[in-house]
Amino acid sequence: MEPIASHENWKNCFSEVAPGLLLFARQWVHSAADAEDVVQEAFVKFWRRNHNIDNRALLYSAVRSIALDFVRRDIRRARRETTVFSEVEPAIEPHFELEDDTQSALAAAVDCLPCDQREVLVLKIWNDLTFSEIAGTLGISQNTAASRYRYALSNLKKSLQPQ
Amino acid sequence: MNDFSELENELRKLRPARPSPVLFQRIGEALENYRAGASPAGQPGRLLYTWWSLGFGLAAAAILVVFAVINFQSTHERREAIAASSAPQPETRTLPRGMEQSTSPGRFVSAGGAHVVYNARDEGLHFANGSERPVRRVRYQTEQTWRWRNPETGASLRVSYPSEEIMLIPVSGQ
Repeated sequence: MEPIASHENWKNCFSEVAPGLLLFARQWVHSAADAEDVVQEAFVKFWRRNHNIDNRALLYSAVRSIALDFVRRDIRRARRETTVFSEVEPAIEPHFELEDDTQSALAAAVDCLPCDQREVLVLKIWNDLTFSEIAGTLGISQNTAASRYRYALSNLKKSLQPQ
Repeated sequence: MNDFSELENELRKLRPARPSPVLFQRIGEALENYRAGASPAGQPGRLLYTWWSLGFGLAAAAILVVFAVINFQSTHERREAIAASSAPQPETRTLPRGMEQSTSPGRFVSAGGAHVVYNARDEGLHFANGSERPVRRVRYQTEQTWRWRNPETGASLRVSYPSEEIMLIPVSGQ
């Protein structure tokens, strides 16, 4: 039986995906409040259309699309997506619940990744999407998604190595 | 599998920030509003808007059709009137009464006529009815033609009949 979205179990589903969704939305918006607005709009839209909850790529695509629209409205310029990526300022509020300095350094290194690598990393590590789902979400090929993931890990490893 | 497994494990230990409880409440309210049909941006609203648009469109189309029919009828009547008034007047006036009745009065309008004299013969001088003054008798053989036309269908009707006239012209003495 396919787990179709219904109005009865939305809390369970949302509880599972909410942290990852928020982290994904934080790639583009500056504050946690803005990220929650984006996630709310995307999840409600996804849920009320009774999409299959297994179709996570659609949900993340909705988050990404709404977040980019949010950024365009916010900066009052409609430019190409890549331009939007480059104009996003570093977030001030923490994205993670940090426990020690090691995690702080790791989180800081993640924040310093190029946007295209970071979004693949976020989808893969904290949202458990497959490369196929990531490709569907971002509109890229699986090979591109996999290579961006590898580049992200490689860059992280380099930045964490002692000088 | 790769050299990054340790790094991946470290990354997974990072826990993303949790959403605020208010977010659950807001989503619950949004879904509840949608179920109650109060969402202005929801599908029922769009559907209602679509039906309104369809209704207005059909009404506008019906009004246009009615205007087109009325305009066509008035144009048709005007054409008939113009055709009737543009017909040659002498022929219309001289149209025999019986001929008007024999045609369809509402459909055919007079389109003119012709009176052709194709033969004239001088029959010489005569004394009519014992008169002392002579008269010259001239016999004319003619053909009269009357035409009618239906402006709606373009059909035409033509009636031709021969006639013979005898004219007595008094001759004065010189």
